[in-house]
Amino acid sequence: MTVDLSVSLGDVSFKNPVFVASGTFGYGTESNDLVDVSQLGAIVTKSITKHPREGNPPPRIVETPSGMINSIGLANIGVDKYIEKMIPVYEKIGTHVITNIAGFSIDDYLHVLEKLESSGGNVCGYEINVSCPNVDTGRMEFSVDPKSTRELTKALRSATKKLLILKLSPNVTDIGEIAAAAVEGGADALSAINTLFGMSIDPATRRPNINTNIGGLSGPSIRPVGIASVYKISKAVDVPVIGIGGITSVKDVIEYLLAGASAVQVGTANFRDAAIATRIINDLGTYCEENDIATICDLIGKVESYD
Amino acid sequence: MIVKKMIAEKGTVLNNEEIAHGIYQMTFSAERICNEEPFPGQFLNICVDDSWEHPLRRPMSIADVNDNQLSIIYKVFGEGTKILSEYKNGYSIDLLGPLGNSFGETEGTTPILIGGGVGLSPIIWFHKVLQTNGVEHKIVVGAQSVNEHFLSHDPEENIYLTTDDGSVGEHGTVMPTVKKICDEVENPKLFSCGPEPMMKAVHLFVNKFDFPCELSVESYMGCATGLCQGCVIERASNSLKEHSYHERYSLVCTDGPIYQAKEIVFS
Repeated sequence: MTVDLSVSLGDVSFKNPVFVASGTFGYGTESNDLVDVSQLGAIVTKSITKHPREGNPPPRIVETPSGMINSIGLANIGVDKYIEKMIPVYEKIGTHVITNIAGFSIDDYLHVLEKLESSGGNVCGYEINVSCPNVDTGRMEFSVDPKSTRELTKALRSATKKLLILKLSPNVTDIGEIAAAAVEGGADALSAINTLFGMSIDPATRRPNINTNIGGLSGPSIRPVGIASVYKISKAVDVPVIGIGGITSVKDVIEYLLAGASAVQVGTANFRDAAIATRIINDLGTYCEENDIATICDLIGKVESYD
Repeated sequence: MIVKKMIAEKGTVLNNEEIAHGIYQMTFSAERICNEEPFPGQFLNICVDDSWEHPLRRPMSIADVNDNQLSIIYKVFGEGTKILSEYKNGYSIDLLGPLGNSFGETEGTTPILIGGGVGLSPIIWFHKVLQTNGVEHKIVVGAQSVNEHFLSHDPEENIYLTTDDGSVGEHGTVMPTVKKICDEVENPKLFSCGPEPMMKAVHLFVNKFDFPCELSVESYMGCATGLCQGCVIERASNSLKEHSYHERYSLVCTDGPIYQAKEIVFS
Protein backbone atom coordinates (compact mmCIF):
# COMPACT_ATOMS: atom_id res chain seq x y z
CA MET A 1 0.00 0.00 0.00
CA THR A 2 1.14 3.56 -0.59
CA VAL A 3 1.27 5.68 2.50
CA ASP A 4 0.63 9.40 2.29
CA LEU A 5 3.02 11.05 4.73
CA SER A 6 2.33 14.60 3.57
CA VAL A 7 1.00 17.23 5.94
CA SER A 8 -0.04 20.86 5.57
CA LEU A 9 0.70 23.89 7.70
CA GLY A 10 -1.07 27.05 6.57
CA ASP A 11 -0.93 26.98 2.76
CA VAL A 12 2.25 24.95 2.61
CA SER A 13 2.32 21.21 1.96
CA PHE A 14 5.27 19.21 3.34
CA LYS A 15 6.32 15.82 1.95
CA ASN A 16 6.42 14.38 5.46
CA PRO A 17 5.90 15.61 9.01
CA VAL A 18 9.49 15.19 10.27
CA PHE A 19 11.51 18.42 10.36
CA VAL A 20 14.82 19.28 12.02
CA ALA A 21 14.64 21.81 14.85
CA SER A 22 16.21 25.23 15.00
CA GLY A 23 19.66 25.34 16.54
CA THR A 24 20.26 21.63 16.03
CA PHE A 25 20.95 21.50 12.29
CA GLY A 26 22.94 24.69 11.64
CA TYR A 27 21.95 26.37 8.40
CA GLY A 28 21.07 23.03 6.82
CA THR A 29 24.21 22.16 4.87
CA GLU A 30 26.79 21.33 7.57
CA SER A 31 25.88 17.63 7.59
CA ASN A 32 25.84 17.04 3.83
CA ASP A 33 28.53 14.34 4.20
CA LEU A 34 26.23 12.35 6.44
CA VAL A 35 22.65 12.87 5.32
CA ASP A 36 20.50 13.57 2.27
CA VAL A 37 18.67 16.64 3.58
CA SER A 38 16.24 16.63 0.66
CA GLN A 39 14.44 13.75 2.39
CA LEU A 40 13.52 15.92 5.37
CA GLY A 41 10.03 17.33 5.72
CA ALA A 42 11.65 20.71 6.32
CA ILE A 43 14.76 22.32 7.74
CA VAL A 44 14.28 24.94 10.42
CA THR A 45 17.41 27.10 10.51
CA LYS A 46 19.38 28.44 13.41
CA SER A 47 17.86 31.60 14.84
CA ILE A 48 18.73 34.56 12.62
CA THR A 49 19.04 37.99 14.21
CA LYS A 50 19.32 41.56 12.93
CA HIS A 51 23.07 41.67 13.62
CA PRO A 52 25.64 38.84 13.74
CA ARG A 53 26.11 37.43 17.24
CA GLU A 54 29.16 35.76 18.81
CA GLY A 55 27.04 33.98 21.41
CA ASN A 56 27.84 33.28 25.04
CA PRO A 57 31.25 32.53 26.61
CA PRO A 58 32.15 28.86 27.14
CA PRO A 59 31.28 26.47 28.63
CA ARG A 60 28.09 26.43 26.59
CA ILE A 61 26.87 22.85 26.86
CA VAL A 62 26.75 19.98 29.32
CA GLU A 63 25.23 16.52 29.18
CA THR A 64 22.52 15.70 31.74
CA PRO A 65 20.61 12.45 32.34
CA SER A 66 19.00 11.67 28.95
CA GLY A 67 19.48 15.24 27.88
CA MET A 68 21.71 18.27 27.73
CA ILE A 69 21.74 21.89 28.80
CA ASN A 70 22.84 24.51 26.32
CA SER A 71 23.51 28.19 26.48
CA ILE A 72 24.75 29.10 23.02
CA GLY A 73 23.32 32.62 23.11
CA LEU A 74 21.94 32.80 19.56
CA ALA A 75 25.36 32.75 17.86
CA ASN A 76 24.61 33.37 14.18
CA ILE A 77 25.83 35.15 11.05
CA GLY A 78 23.10 37.83 11.06
CA VAL A 79 20.40 38.40 8.47
CA ASP A 80 22.53 40.18 5.84
CA LYS A 81 25.10 37.40 5.57
CA TYR A 82 22.31 34.81 5.79
CA ILE A 83 20.67 36.32 2.72
CA GLU A 84 24.00 36.54 0.91
CA LYS A 85 25.40 33.10 1.79
CA MET A 86 22.52 30.77 2.55
CA ILE A 87 19.43 31.90 0.63
CA PRO A 88 21.05 31.04 -2.77
CA VAL A 89 21.97 27.57 -1.45
CA TYR A 90 18.34 26.89 -0.55
CA GLU A 91 17.30 27.15 -4.24
CA LYS A 92 18.59 23.62 -4.78
CA ILE A 93 18.32 22.08 -1.33
CA GLY A 94 15.35 19.89 -2.28
CA THR A 95 13.10 20.55 0.69
CA HIS A 96 11.35 23.39 2.47
CA VAL A 97 13.43 25.79 4.54
CA ILE A 98 11.82 27.64 7.43
CA THR A 99 13.88 30.54 8.72
CA ASN A 100 13.88 30.87 12.49
CA ILE A 101 14.00 34.51 13.62
CA ALA A 102 15.01 35.86 17.03
CA GLY A 103 15.07 39.40 18.35
CA PHE A 104 14.86 41.64 21.36
CA SER A 105 12.12 44.00 20.22
CA ILE A 106 9.27 43.93 17.71
CA ASP A 107 11.42 46.11 15.45
CA ASP A 108 14.25 43.55 15.53
CA TYR A 109 11.98 40.73 14.41
CA LEU A 110 10.34 42.93 11.76
CA HIS A 111 13.73 44.04 10.43
CA VAL A 112 14.82 40.42 9.82
CA LEU A 113 11.48 39.31 8.40
CA GLU A 114 11.19 42.29 6.04
CA LYS A 115 14.73 41.80 4.74
CA LEU A 116 13.98 38.14 4.06
CA GLU A 117 10.69 39.04 2.36
CA SER A 118 12.42 41.47 0.02
CA SER A 119 15.25 38.99 -0.72
CA GLY A 120 12.75 36.88 -2.66
CA GLY A 121 14.51 33.72 -1.52
CA ASN A 122 13.29 30.17 -1.41
CA VAL A 123 12.09 30.22 2.19
CA CYS A 124 8.62 28.81 2.74
CA GLY A 125 7.99 30.53 6.04
CA TYR A 126 9.21 31.77 9.39
CA GLU A 127 9.41 30.30 12.83
CA ILE A 128 9.54 33.03 15.45
CA ASN A 129 11.74 32.29 18.43
CA VAL A 130 10.04 34.10 21.28
CA SER A 131 11.42 31.74 23.84
CA CYS A 132 15.20 31.57 23.95
CA PRO A 133 16.14 31.32 27.63
CA ASN A 134 19.80 32.20 27.09
CA VAL A 135 20.02 35.89 26.30
CA ASP A 136 20.07 38.68 28.83
CA THR A 137 17.91 41.30 27.24
CA GLY A 138 14.30 40.58 26.51
CA ARG A 139 14.65 37.27 28.27
CA MET A 140 11.48 35.36 27.53
CA GLU A 141 9.56 38.63 27.51
CA PHE A 142 7.40 37.77 24.53
CA SER A 143 6.73 34.16 25.29
CA VAL A 144 5.53 34.61 28.86
CA ASP A 145 3.12 37.46 28.21
CA PRO A 146 0.01 36.89 26.06
CA LYS A 147 -0.27 40.58 25.18
CA SER A 148 3.33 40.86 23.91
CA THR A 149 2.96 37.59 22.01
CA ARG A 150 -0.22 38.88 20.33
CA GLU A 151 1.34 42.23 19.39
CA LEU A 152 4.50 40.70 17.99
CA THR A 153 2.56 38.14 15.95
CA LYS A 154 0.25 40.83 14.63
CA ALA A 155 3.16 43.02 13.51
CA LEU A 156 4.82 40.11 11.71
CA ARG A 157 1.56 38.92 10.18
CA SER A 158 1.03 42.30 8.56
CA ALA A 159 4.51 42.01 6.97
CA THR A 160 4.21 38.56 5.37
CA LYS A 161 1.76 36.25 3.70
CA LYS A 162 4.11 33.31 4.13
CA LEU A 163 3.77 30.59 6.74
CA LEU A 164 4.13 32.19 10.19
CA ILE A 165 4.92 29.89 13.11
CA LEU A 166 5.40 30.98 16.73
CA LYS A 167 7.73 28.79 18.79
CA LEU A 168 6.52 28.69 22.37
CA SER A 169 8.26 28.29 25.70
CA PRO A 170 7.30 25.62 28.20
CA ASN A 171 8.46 27.93 31.00
CA VAL A 172 5.03 29.48 31.49
CA THR A 173 2.03 28.88 33.72
CA ASP A 174 -0.47 28.27 30.93
CA ILE A 175 0.93 27.51 27.48
CA GLY A 176 -2.63 27.33 26.07
CA GLU A 177 -3.16 31.01 26.89
CA ILE A 178 0.02 32.07 25.07
CA ALA A 179 -0.91 29.83 22.14
CA ALA A 180 -4.35 31.49 21.91
CA ALA A 181 -2.71 34.94 21.93
CA ALA A 182 -0.41 33.96 19.05
CA VAL A 183 -3.34 32.67 17.04
CA GLU A 184 -5.29 35.87 17.71
CA GLY A 185 -2.28 37.75 16.36
CA GLY A 186 -2.46 35.73 13.15
CA ALA A 187 -0.06 32.79 13.56
CA ASP A 188 -0.63 29.97 11.06
CA ALA A 189 0.91 27.34 13.32
CA LEU A 190 2.67 26.90 16.66
CA SER A 191 5.85 25.03 17.58
CA ALA A 192 6.19 23.59 21.07
CA ILE A 193 8.35 23.32 22.98
CA ASN A 194 11.55 25.31 23.21
CA THR A 195 13.96 24.27 25.98
CA LEU A 196 13.10 24.16 29.66
CA PHE A 197 15.14 26.04 32.24
CA GLY A 198 17.89 23.73 33.45
CA MET A 199 20.96 23.87 35.66
CA SER A 200 23.70 21.48 36.69
CA ILE A 201 26.58 22.11 39.09
CA ASP A 202 29.97 20.44 39.46
CA PRO A 203 30.19 19.48 43.16
CA ALA A 204 34.01 19.44 43.01
CA THR A 205 34.34 23.06 41.91
CA ARG A 206 30.89 24.30 43.07
CA ARG A 207 30.64 25.94 39.67
CA PRO A 208 27.64 25.66 37.36
CA ASN A 209 28.53 23.56 34.32
CA ILE A 210 27.63 26.31 31.89
CA ASN A 211 28.69 29.91 31.86
CA THR A 212 25.26 31.50 32.15
CA ASN A 213 24.53 29.31 35.20
CA ILE A 214 21.05 28.41 33.95
CA GLY A 215 20.50 27.23 30.38
CA GLY A 216 18.01 25.39 28.21
CA LEU A 217 17.35 21.70 28.85
CA SER A 218 16.60 19.50 25.85
CA GLY A 219 16.71 15.85 24.81
CA PRO A 220 14.68 12.74 25.67
CA SER A 221 14.29 13.86 29.29
CA ILE A 222 11.90 16.66 28.23
CA ARG A 223 9.77 14.55 25.86
CA PRO A 224 6.84 14.10 28.27
CA VAL A 225 6.74 17.88 28.80
CA GLY A 226 6.66 18.40 25.05
CA ILE A 227 3.88 15.89 24.54
CA ALA A 228 1.78 17.39 27.35
CA SER A 229 2.32 20.88 25.91
CA VAL A 230 1.24 19.82 22.43
CA TYR A 231 -1.83 18.15 23.95
CA LYS A 232 -2.79 21.32 25.86
CA ILE A 233 -2.18 23.64 22.90
CA SER A 234 -4.16 21.49 20.49
CA LYS A 235 -7.10 21.63 22.89
CA ALA A 236 -6.78 25.42 23.21
CA VAL A 237 -6.45 26.48 19.54
CA ASP A 238 -7.44 25.35 16.06
CA VAL A 239 -4.18 25.91 14.17
CA PRO A 240 -1.67 23.09 13.55
CA VAL A 241 0.92 22.37 16.21
CA ILE A 242 4.49 21.23 15.56
CA GLY A 243 5.72 18.96 18.36
CA ILE A 244 9.29 19.34 19.61
CA GLY A 245 11.13 17.78 22.51
CA GLY A 246 13.24 14.66 22.84
CA ILE A 247 12.32 12.82 19.65
CA THR A 248 14.70 9.94 18.87
CA SER A 249 12.47 7.33 17.19
CA VAL A 250 9.31 6.74 15.19
CA LYS A 251 7.49 5.79 18.39
CA ASP A 252 8.14 9.29 19.73
CA VAL A 253 6.76 10.82 16.53
CA ILE A 254 3.58 8.75 16.83
CA GLU A 255 3.15 9.93 20.43
CA TYR A 256 3.38 13.56 19.36
CA LEU A 257 0.96 13.05 16.46
CA LEU A 258 -1.56 11.31 18.70
CA ALA A 259 -1.25 14.15 21.22
CA GLY A 260 -2.27 16.59 18.49
CA ALA A 261 0.86 17.53 16.55
CA SER A 262 0.54 17.90 12.76
CA ALA A 263 4.32 17.73 12.36
CA VAL A 264 7.36 17.28 14.57
CA GLN A 265 10.92 18.53 14.82
CA VAL A 266 13.89 16.37 15.76
CA GLY A 267 16.35 18.39 17.86
CA THR A 268 19.07 17.23 20.23
CA ALA A 269 19.22 13.79 18.58
CA ASN A 270 20.77 15.44 15.49
CA PHE A 271 23.90 16.14 17.52
CA ARG A 272 24.44 12.42 17.99
CA ASP A 273 23.29 11.33 14.55
CA ALA A 274 22.74 13.87 11.77
CA ALA A 275 20.86 11.25 9.72
CA ILE A 276 18.42 10.27 12.46
CA ALA A 277 15.48 12.31 11.13
CA THR A 278 15.72 10.68 7.70
CA ARG A 279 15.77 7.23 9.31
CA ILE A 280 12.70 8.15 11.37
CA ILE A 281 10.95 9.19 8.14
CA ASN A 282 11.62 5.75 6.64
CA ASP A 283 10.46 4.08 9.84
CA LEU A 284 7.30 6.19 9.79
CA GLY A 285 6.42 4.83 6.34
CA THR A 286 6.99 1.29 7.55
CA TYR A 287 4.95 1.89 10.71
CA CYS A 288 2.01 3.17 8.67
CA GLU A 289 2.16 0.21 6.28
CA GLU A 290 2.28 -2.28 9.12
CA ASN A 291 -0.63 -0.59 10.89
CA ASP A 292 -2.81 0.03 7.82
CA ILE A 293 -2.61 3.79 8.11
CA ALA A 294 -3.18 5.21 4.63
CA THR A 295 -2.48 8.79 5.50
CA ILE A 296 -0.44 10.15 8.37
CA CYS A 297 -3.07 12.82 9.02
CA ASP A 298 -5.32 10.03 10.35
CA LEU A 299 -3.15 9.90 13.46
CA ILE A 300 -3.22 13.58 14.36
CA GLY A 301 -4.92 14.15 17.72
CA LYS A 302 -6.23 10.59 17.89
CA VAL A 303 -5.15 9.96 21.47
CA GLU A 304 -7.93 8.21 23.34
CA SER A 305 -7.90 10.39 26.44
CA TYR A 306 -9.42 9.37 29.74
CA ASP A 307 -12.58 11.34 30.54
CA MET B 1 44.69 21.74 4.68
CA ILE B 2 43.00 18.93 2.79
CA VAL B 3 39.29 18.87 3.51
CA LYS B 4 38.40 15.35 4.52
CA LYS B 5 35.01 13.78 4.42
CA MET B 6 33.19 12.92 7.64
CA ILE B 7 32.23 9.26 7.79
CA ALA B 8 29.71 7.61 10.11
CA GLU B 9 30.83 4.02 10.59
CA LYS B 10 30.20 1.07 12.89
CA GLY B 11 33.57 -0.43 13.77
CA THR B 12 34.32 -3.68 15.58
CA VAL B 13 36.35 -3.67 18.79
CA LEU B 14 39.50 -5.77 18.36
CA ASN B 15 41.22 -4.99 21.65
CA ASN B 16 40.50 -2.89 24.74
CA GLU B 17 42.97 -3.06 27.58
CA GLU B 18 44.25 -1.09 30.53
CA ILE B 19 47.80 -0.13 29.54
CA ALA B 20 48.51 1.87 32.72
CA HIS B 21 46.53 2.68 35.84
CA GLY B 22 43.18 4.12 34.62
CA ILE B 23 44.48 4.51 31.06
CA TYR B 24 43.09 2.30 28.31
CA GLN B 25 43.94 1.64 24.70
CA MET B 26 41.18 0.47 22.40
CA THR B 27 41.72 -0.74 18.85
CA PHE B 28 38.87 -1.23 16.40
CA SER B 29 38.32 -1.78 12.72
CA ALA B 30 37.17 1.30 10.81
CA GLU B 31 37.95 0.79 7.15
CA ARG B 32 36.05 3.72 5.69
CA ILE B 33 37.41 6.24 8.20
CA CYS B 34 40.95 4.93 7.59
CA ASN B 35 40.40 5.45 3.86
CA GLU B 36 40.13 9.18 4.57
CA GLU B 37 43.79 9.04 5.72
CA PRO B 38 43.50 10.74 9.11
CA PHE B 39 46.59 12.49 10.50
CA PRO B 40 47.74 13.03 14.13
CA GLY B 41 45.57 15.60 15.88
CA GLN B 42 42.36 14.50 14.22
CA PHE B 43 39.66 12.93 16.33
CA LEU B 44 36.65 10.63 16.37
CA ASN B 45 33.29 11.29 17.98
CA ILE B 46 32.20 8.08 19.65
CA CYS B 47 28.72 7.09 20.75
CA VAL B 48 29.36 5.24 24.00
CA ASP B 49 25.80 4.33 24.95
CA ASP B 50 23.19 2.71 22.70
CA SER B 51 20.44 3.97 24.99
CA TRP B 52 19.76 7.69 25.22
CA GLU B 53 20.82 7.97 28.86
CA HIS B 54 24.02 9.57 27.57
CA PRO B 55 22.84 11.32 24.42
CA LEU B 56 26.10 13.00 23.42
CA ARG B 57 29.05 11.34 21.72
CA ARG B 58 32.52 11.60 23.23
CA PRO B 59 35.27 13.27 21.21
CA MET B 60 38.46 11.16 21.30
CA SER B 61 41.73 11.89 19.52
CA ILE B 62 43.10 9.11 17.35
CA ALA B 63 46.18 7.39 18.85
CA ASP B 64 47.20 5.23 15.90
CA VAL B 65 46.19 4.07 12.44
CA ASN B 66 47.24 0.70 11.09
CA ASP B 67 45.84 -0.40 7.74
CA ASN B 68 42.12 -0.55 8.46
CA GLN B 69 42.39 -0.21 12.22
CA LEU B 70 42.24 2.77 14.52
CA SER B 71 43.30 3.12 18.15
CA ILE B 72 42.40 5.53 20.89
CA ILE B 73 44.13 5.97 24.25
CA TYR B 74 41.79 7.29 26.92
CA LYS B 75 41.74 7.96 30.62
CA VAL B 76 38.67 6.84 32.57
CA PHE B 77 37.40 9.97 34.30
CA GLY B 78 33.62 10.07 33.81
CA GLU B 79 30.55 7.99 32.98
CA GLY B 80 31.24 7.89 29.23
CA THR B 81 34.82 6.67 29.49
CA LYS B 82 33.76 4.16 32.18
CA ILE B 83 31.25 2.65 29.73
CA LEU B 84 33.92 2.63 27.01
CA SER B 85 36.37 0.80 29.28
CA GLU B 86 33.84 -2.05 29.56
CA TYR B 87 33.62 -2.65 25.79
CA LYS B 88 34.59 -6.22 24.93
CA ASN B 89 36.27 -7.57 21.81
CA GLY B 90 33.74 -8.02 19.02
CA TYR B 91 31.47 -5.21 20.25
CA SER B 92 30.22 -2.81 17.63
CA ILE B 93 31.42 0.75 18.14
CA ASP B 94 29.59 3.73 16.63
CA LEU B 95 32.14 6.16 15.17
CA LEU B 96 32.14 9.49 13.39
CA GLY B 97 35.37 10.75 11.86
CA PRO B 98 37.94 11.77 10.97
CA LEU B 99 37.15 15.18 12.45
CA GLY B 100 39.04 18.43 12.91
CA ASN B 101 42.46 19.58 11.74
CA SER B 102 45.86 18.04 12.45
CA PHE B 103 49.35 18.91 13.65
CA GLY B 104 51.31 21.03 11.21
CA GLU B 105 54.78 21.72 9.93
CA THR B 106 57.90 20.36 11.65
CA GLU B 107 60.50 21.16 8.98
CA GLY B 108 63.41 23.23 10.19
CA THR B 109 62.46 22.69 13.84
CA THR B 110 63.12 20.22 16.62
CA PRO B 111 59.66 19.01 17.55
CA ILE B 112 59.04 18.60 21.29
CA LEU B 113 55.89 16.61 21.95
CA ILE B 114 54.30 17.09 25.37
CA GLY B 115 51.42 14.98 26.63
CA GLY B 116 49.68 13.66 29.69
CA GLY B 117 46.51 12.08 31.02
CA VAL B 118 43.56 12.59 28.71
CA GLY B 119 45.78 14.10 26.04
CA LEU B 120 48.05 11.23 25.15
CA SER B 121 46.48 9.98 21.93
CA PRO B 122 47.61 12.61 19.41
CA ILE B 123 51.05 12.91 21.02
CA ILE B 124 51.74 9.18 20.94
CA TRP B 125 50.59 8.92 17.32
CA PHE B 126 52.58 11.99 16.23
CA HIS B 127 55.63 10.50 17.98
CA LYS B 128 55.21 7.34 15.93
CA VAL B 129 54.73 9.23 12.65
CA LEU B 130 57.83 11.35 13.25
CA GLN B 131 59.81 8.21 14.14
CA THR B 132 58.66 6.53 10.92
CA ASN B 133 59.63 9.61 8.91
CA GLY B 134 63.03 9.81 10.63
CA VAL B 135 62.33 13.24 12.13
CA GLU B 136 64.47 13.74 15.23
CA HIS B 137 62.28 14.88 18.09
CA LYS B 138 61.72 14.70 21.85
CA ILE B 139 58.68 13.45 23.74
CA VAL B 140 57.82 14.44 27.31
CA VAL B 141 54.97 12.66 29.08
CA GLY B 142 53.68 13.65 32.50
CA ALA B 143 51.66 11.69 35.07
CA GLN B 144 50.98 11.58 38.80
CA SER B 145 52.99 8.42 39.36
CA VAL B 146 54.73 5.51 37.65
CA ASN B 147 51.45 3.52 37.58
CA GLU B 148 50.01 5.88 34.98
CA HIS B 149 52.92 5.55 32.57
CA PHE B 150 53.12 2.99 29.78
CA LEU B 151 56.31 4.26 28.12
CA SER B 152 59.80 3.83 29.59
CA HIS B 153 61.88 6.78 30.69
CA ASP B 154 64.71 6.77 28.18
CA PRO B 155 66.39 10.17 27.59
CA GLU B 156 68.93 8.56 25.25
CA GLU B 157 66.01 7.66 23.00
CA ASN B 158 64.56 11.16 23.56
CA ILE B 159 61.68 9.88 25.72
CA TYR B 160 61.29 11.77 29.01
CA LEU B 161 58.78 10.82 31.67
CA THR B 162 57.86 13.01 34.61
CA THR B 163 55.83 12.18 37.72
CA ASP B 164 54.32 14.34 40.43
CA ASP B 165 55.60 11.91 43.08
CA GLY B 166 58.99 11.23 41.51
CA SER B 167 58.31 7.50 41.21
CA VAL B 168 59.77 7.44 37.70
CA GLY B 169 61.65 9.88 35.48
CA GLU B 170 61.93 13.53 36.47
CA HIS B 171 60.20 14.60 39.69
CA GLY B 172 57.55 17.27 39.13
CA THR B 173 55.52 18.52 36.18
CA VAL B 174 56.60 18.35 32.56
CA MET B 175 57.64 22.02 32.54
CA PRO B 176 61.19 21.87 33.98
CA THR B 177 62.07 19.12 31.49
CA VAL B 178 60.47 21.03 28.63
CA LYS B 179 62.39 24.19 29.55
CA LYS B 180 65.66 22.27 29.75
CA ILE B 181 65.13 20.66 26.34
CA CYS B 182 64.21 24.03 24.80
CA ASP B 183 67.55 25.40 26.04
CA GLU B 184 69.44 22.52 24.48
CA VAL B 185 67.93 22.03 21.04
CA GLU B 186 67.94 24.09 17.85
CA ASN B 187 64.68 25.78 16.88
CA PRO B 188 62.33 24.05 19.30
CA LYS B 189 58.70 23.75 18.27
CA LEU B 190 56.27 22.46 20.87
CA PHE B 191 53.25 20.25 20.27
CA SER B 192 51.10 19.67 23.32
CA CYS B 193 47.95 17.89 24.40
CA GLY B 194 47.04 17.22 28.00
CA PRO B 195 45.09 18.24 31.06
CA GLU B 196 44.23 21.91 31.43
CA PRO B 197 46.93 22.85 33.98
CA MET B 198 49.59 21.36 31.67
CA MET B 199 48.21 23.19 28.64
CA LYS B 200 48.04 26.47 30.55
CA ALA B 201 51.67 26.07 31.71
CA VAL B 202 52.87 25.29 28.17
CA HIS B 203 50.85 28.20 26.81
CA LEU B 204 52.36 30.63 29.31
CA PHE B 205 55.87 29.36 28.66
CA VAL B 206 55.80 29.56 24.86
CA ASN B 207 54.18 32.98 24.88
CA LYS B 208 56.90 34.24 27.23
CA PHE B 209 59.78 32.93 25.11
CA ASP B 210 58.07 33.24 21.75
CA PHE B 211 58.51 29.59 20.77
CA PRO B 212 56.28 28.22 18.04
CA CYS B 213 53.73 25.88 19.56
CA GLU B 214 50.66 23.92 18.51
CA LEU B 215 48.12 22.99 21.16
CA SER B 216 45.51 20.26 20.80
CA VAL B 217 42.58 21.73 22.70
CA GLU B 218 40.13 19.71 24.76
CA SER B 219 36.50 20.88 24.75
CA TYR B 220 33.08 19.64 25.76
CA MET B 221 31.31 18.94 22.45
CA GLY B 222 27.67 18.47 21.52
CA CYS B 223 28.05 17.30 17.93
CA ALA B 224 31.68 17.81 16.77
CA THR B 225 30.42 18.81 13.33
CA GLY B 226 29.62 22.52 13.73
CA LEU B 227 25.88 22.12 14.28
CA CYS B 228 25.56 22.96 17.96
CA GLN B 229 28.16 25.74 18.38
CA GLY B 230 28.83 24.41 21.87
CA CYS B 231 32.61 23.87 21.89
CA VAL B 232 34.00 27.38 21.50
CA ILE B 233 37.35 28.73 22.64
CA GLU B 234 38.25 32.42 22.81
CA ARG B 235 40.59 33.77 20.17
CA ALA B 236 43.56 35.89 21.26
CA SER B 237 42.87 38.42 18.53
CA ASN B 238 39.60 39.13 20.27
CA SER B 239 38.48 42.44 18.90
CA LEU B 240 35.36 42.62 21.08
CA LYS B 241 33.42 44.13 18.22
CA GLU B 242 29.81 44.73 19.07
CA HIS B 243 28.37 42.80 16.15
CA SER B 244 30.41 39.87 14.91
CA TYR B 245 30.25 36.13 14.46
CA HIS B 246 33.18 33.71 14.66
CA GLU B 247 35.67 36.49 15.30
CA ARG B 248 35.76 36.32 19.08
CA TYR B 249 34.99 32.62 19.45
CA SER B 250 36.36 29.74 17.40
CA LEU B 251 34.68 26.33 17.08
CA VAL B 252 37.09 23.72 18.46
CA CYS B 253 35.39 20.94 16.46
CA THR B 254 35.72 22.39 12.97
CA ASP B 255 38.38 25.13 13.34
CA GLY B 256 40.49 23.05 15.76
CA PRO B 257 41.27 21.06 17.77
CA ILE B 258 44.85 22.14 16.88
CA TYR B 259 45.63 25.82 17.39
CA GLN B 260 48.81 27.85 17.27
CA ALA B 261 49.33 28.85 20.91
CA LYS B 262 49.27 32.52 19.94
CA GLU B 263 45.81 32.20 18.42
CA ILE B 264 43.92 31.38 21.61
CA VAL B 265 43.49 32.36 25.23
CA PHE B 266 42.73 30.03 28.12
CA SER B 267 40.15 31.51 30.46
